[in-house]
This record gives sequence, C-alpha cells and structure tokens, in this order.
Amino acid sequence: MAKSRSTPFHVPNKKIRPAGWQVFLVGFFLFYMLVPIISTYVFSVATRWDRTILPEGYTLEFYQRAFDASYFTITLRNSLILSLATVLVSLLVIVPTVYWVHTRLAGAKPLLDILMILPFGIPTVVLALALVQVYNFSPLARSPFLLIGAVVIYSMPFMYRPVANAIQAIDAHVMTEAGQSLGANVFQVLSKIIIPNILPGILSGSLLVFATVFAEYTLTSLIVGARFKTFPLLLVEFTRINGNVASAFSVISFTIAWLVSILILWVGSKGQVAKTKAIRTG
Amino acid sequence: MSYLELKNINKSYAGVAAVHDFNLDIEKGSLVSFLGPSGCGKTTTLRMIAGFEQLDSGTIRLDGSDIVPVPPNRRDIGMVFQAYALFPNLTVRENIAFGLQMKKTPKKETEKRVNEVLDMVRLQDTAKRFPHQLSGGQQQRIALARALAVQPRVLLLDEPLSALDAEVRVVLRGEIRRIQSELAITTVYVTHDQEEALSISDKVVVMNKGLIEQIGTPEEIYRAPMSRFVATFIGTANQFLGKTSGKNKVLCNNVELLTGDLNGFEEGQAVVVLVRPENVQVQSDKPQQKNWNIVPGGIETITFHGAVTRLGVNVNGQRVVADITVANTQPVSLNQKIWLMFPPDACQVMAAEE
Repeated sequence: MAKSRSTPFHVPNKKIRPAGWQVFLVGFFLFYMLVPIISTYVFSVATRWDRTILPEGYTLEFYQRAFDASYFTITLRNSLILSLATVLVSLLVIVPTVYWVHTRLAGAKPLLDILMILPFGIPTVVLALALVQVYNFSPLARSPFLLIGAVVIYSMPFMYRPVANAIQAIDAHVMTEAGQSLGANVFQVLSKIIIPNILPGILSGSLLVFATVFAEYTLTSLIVGARFKTFPLLLVEFTRINGNVASAFSVISFTIAWLVSILILWVGSKGQVAKTKAIRTG
Repeated sequence: MSYLELKNINKSYAGVAAVHDFNLDIEKGSLVSFLGPSGCGKTTTLRMIAGFEQLDSGTIRLDGSDIVPVPPNRRDIGMVFQAYALFPNLTVRENIAFGLQMKKTPKKETEKRVNEVLDMVRLQDTAKRFPHQLSGGQQQRIALARALAVQPRVLLLDEPLSALDAEVRVVLRGEIRRIQSELAITTVYVTHDQEEALSISDKVVVMNKGLIEQIGTPEEIYRAPMSRFVATFIGTANQFLGKTSGKNKVLCNNVELLTGDLNGFEEGQAVVVLVRPENVQVQSDKPQQKNWNIVPGGIETITFHGAVTRLGVNVNGQRVVADITVANTQPVSLNQKIWLMFPPDACQVMAAEE
C-alpha cells in the first residue's frame, strides 16, 4: 500500500562508515542472541560433543527418535490448538474492548493500561495454583478450557500493546464519526475502516501471542499436566532422558513457530488486499 | 417553516453549560456560520446536529421531523472534519464511494456519482491515489467530495480550513461557497475565523460562552453589532465609556461625543460608544466640519497593514485606533499631533452594563 519514498538528501557517493564501537556493539548483540540457537541446532545433530570444540560427528538419529516418540503428533496438535485458540479469544476480547475504550470511554484508558501490566506482575505459578483452586468444578476443573482462559490472561499484554498503539495512531474516534456520517453502522465501521487500518497491529499482536503460548510450560504443567500434553511438556520430559533429542524437539518447535509466523503474515497481507478489493468500485 | 430548526437546546458537561437555550432556524439551501472563540459551544451544537452528542433538552427538526432519536448514520447529514478524516486504507475513489456503498447504490451509479463530485472539486486525476499522497488542501477537497457524494440533506463543516495554510484557506473557502451555492445544499459552517464567516455566509450566528450573541447577515453583524462582544470580536472597535447627556450626546472622559438619537436611553445612563477604526479620519490641521466629533491626539503607533495603515492615537490618555488609506491622507509620523474626526452616525451606542 504505502510506497517507500526516497530520502531527499540522499548522497550516493559518500558512504558513512560505522564507528568501531558500533560494529562491536552489533557484533556482541548478534553473538548473544545467536549462540544459543546455533548451539541448539548443532547439538541436535551432534554425535558426541564434550571433548572437542566442534562435535566429533554428525547424525540425524535424534530427529528420527523425536519423530518416533509416542505423543509427538498429539502434543504438537495440542500446542497448535492451544496457541490458535488463545490468539482467537485474545483477538475477540481485546480488539473490540480497545476500540470501545478509545472511542467512547477515553477516561478508562489509563486503567486499561495498568490492567495490562498486571499479568507481568503475577508469578505464573501463583496464577496457575489460584485458578486451579477457584475453578475446581466441572467442566472447567483442570480442563483445556481453563488452560486457554489462563494463557489468554498471561499473554494479553502482548496482544493489547500493538493493537492499542495501532488504534491510537489512526485516530479511531474521528474515523468512526466519519464512517457514521456516511451511513455506516458500528459493525461496518469496525470491519471496513478500523480493522483494515490496524491490521499490522493485530498481526504483530497475534504473532507475539502465538509464539508465547506455543512455548508456554508452567501454566500447562500445573493446570492440565498430562491430561492435555503440549509440545513444551514433551520437550521438558526429554531433557531428563536425552539432551540431543530435546534439542531436536527445540529445533522443531522453532521451525514451527517460524512457519506459523510466516503463515499469519501471509494471510494478513492477503486479507488486506482482499478488503481493499472488496470495497473497490472500478 | 424552516428546513432545519433548533429549539431550546441545552447541553452541559459536568454541570458547566456548553450550550444554553439555543434557538435557530435555518432556511433550505442557505449557508449559516457558527462563529465564536474556542469553547463558545459552536462545535458542540454542530455535533448535536450530526448526532455525535446527545442533547440535555430541546429539539432538532429537519424537514419537519424530529431527528434527535435518529442515530448519526441514519440522519442523512454529511460532515467534513477539521482533520480531514479520510480513510487511509482506501484510495480517493474508494473513499468517495464509501457512503454510496453503505447505501447499496448500484455500481454504475456509484461510478457516475464519484466522477461527478471529483469534477466538482476539480481533482479528477487523484482518483487512484491514497490520502497520504495528497496535500492537506487536496485531502480536504476529497473529504468535501466524499460528504457530498451521498447527497446529504444537510452538510456540516467543522472548522474545515483550520489546519491549512493561509493561502489555501482563502482559495478553498471560495470553492466551498461556490459548490454550496451550485448545489443549493443547506450548510452549517463552524469557524473561529471572522473573516471566513463574513465572506462565505448567508447568515452568521455569533456565539459566546454557550449563548447566541447575535444572528444576522454578515453586513448586519459588522455594521450593527448588538453587543460589545460582537463589536469587538468581529473586526476592531474603539470603545468610549460615558454617560448620556441630552438627546444626542454622550459625555466621555470630559469630552462630549455627538451621537445619533439616544431614544431608549435614560438621561445620565452609563453607555459605551463604539466607533470602527475605518470611520475615524485623521487631519493634521483642525478640521472645520460642523456637527462632527473632532478631538486632538498624538500618534503613538503606526502599523502598516497593506491596504490601510493603522494608527494608535493617544486621546486624553485613551488609545483610539484609526485606519487610514494611503490614497487620501498626508504622510504621518510618530508623536505627531493630529486631529481625529468622525461623524455622529459612525457612533454606535449601547448600554454599558452587561
């Protein structure tokens, strides 16, 4: 949609060299971030790696064992269900709430901002144990539904921030009034004006929530445990059995998170084009 | 019966009256401006007509029917906002077509209508662009076109030119007036810029602190202000406080001013005499005119305004402002002793207590 503009003061022949400390800083950052990931990848295919700097040999045996593990597909499926359900619930709760607060109840904005920090302040263990005690009746007790409710709370700030920023940036209040004066009702305003304009915020929120929930361990373990085993639970189980297989699981987990991210981004960009086309007259 | 009638409208926020007992009739096809300083209630009133604010009490009738219970999207009232409010995800063409699509207008007709309004605002070549690729002035033209595309019963403009450059403002207000008269669309225009209001309106409603100060044609508002607020908010006016003395004199600061007939005032009543700077003439020698107000003074300031030069003259300790045109006066200099003169019919007298 938005075409990038060339900067007016671009000087093609003169390249600015980064200072030494800048190179060091960027190098250090990359080292810090990448070493754990690279070593996990390498460890998942290494035969023996305790006497040498680089592994003594390479094998795909651990991937074989990972894929063969009982529960592999089930935990993967459970994790996907949990993550996607959380993204969905989160979207349904957060987007209309933020929109309403920004357009009708501006005074409640600070309150909402504070509420959205709370999940960071409550230790996950406490949250899990409290929820288990309060909702100890069927069908909620120790069920996946309770788990989804819990991770929605836990991951809410990751959805709230990007969505709230996006709504703030488009001046939702005036957009709404402009839409209404042209005959649109609230749902048409939301679907045709507000959502298309905050789509980047919705997407980045969805990505953050998906990634966070896909790797969630504490709440899952304490609320449902073996009843609804997710991928991180299986991974932790294997760290006690075989580190290499656990690494292979981690790599698989990374890869899935990446793939889903790309998928969400792709669907998002498609959606935006479709929306624009649907309303096009010519 | 008028086309748009506002009756006894009251609106307050947290106990503070924003609009108080507002009554106004607007004729079909006319352009009425709400003019006043910020916080005078003009935008609140406009937003009540649009349906974005609820009334505390009163009625709004459009073409004979009460529109207060009707939600904004069913009022058939178009609005142009100060911040343009174009939809950034849609092209110009799609923005203009939006209202027509909400009305489920057939495609062919939508297309035709969009082209018509684009012609009207003279921006046919921008149809495929996005709002952020247009200048502020262009965006506001598109916003106007978008509001007009659905052929609303009333068009509301909320300080539409405030965010634009002075030059664009003057051009665009002419355009708005041209289009408004071509379509003969009933229009309410909110502004704090008196020049804007005077130049484009059929009628001006001057507001202050939630109250209507005066309703009238631009000429009436300027030539016969009915309150000190109107006289000083619209243009500039010299004010002389004094007491009536006889049937056509006001005694101000030991100087007797000749005025028109003082019917309706009591002898010795505290009044204020208002004189527009352009009605005050400047002479270097004592003028001999009979029955004119003639007072001596010293020039304290000289401000060049282009067509006129504005003099600040000290008369007996009071600052009097006079506008002189270069064509009909001799050169003036600071501290020069001069004579000011103005006829009795240039004096407007109103009661001082308000």
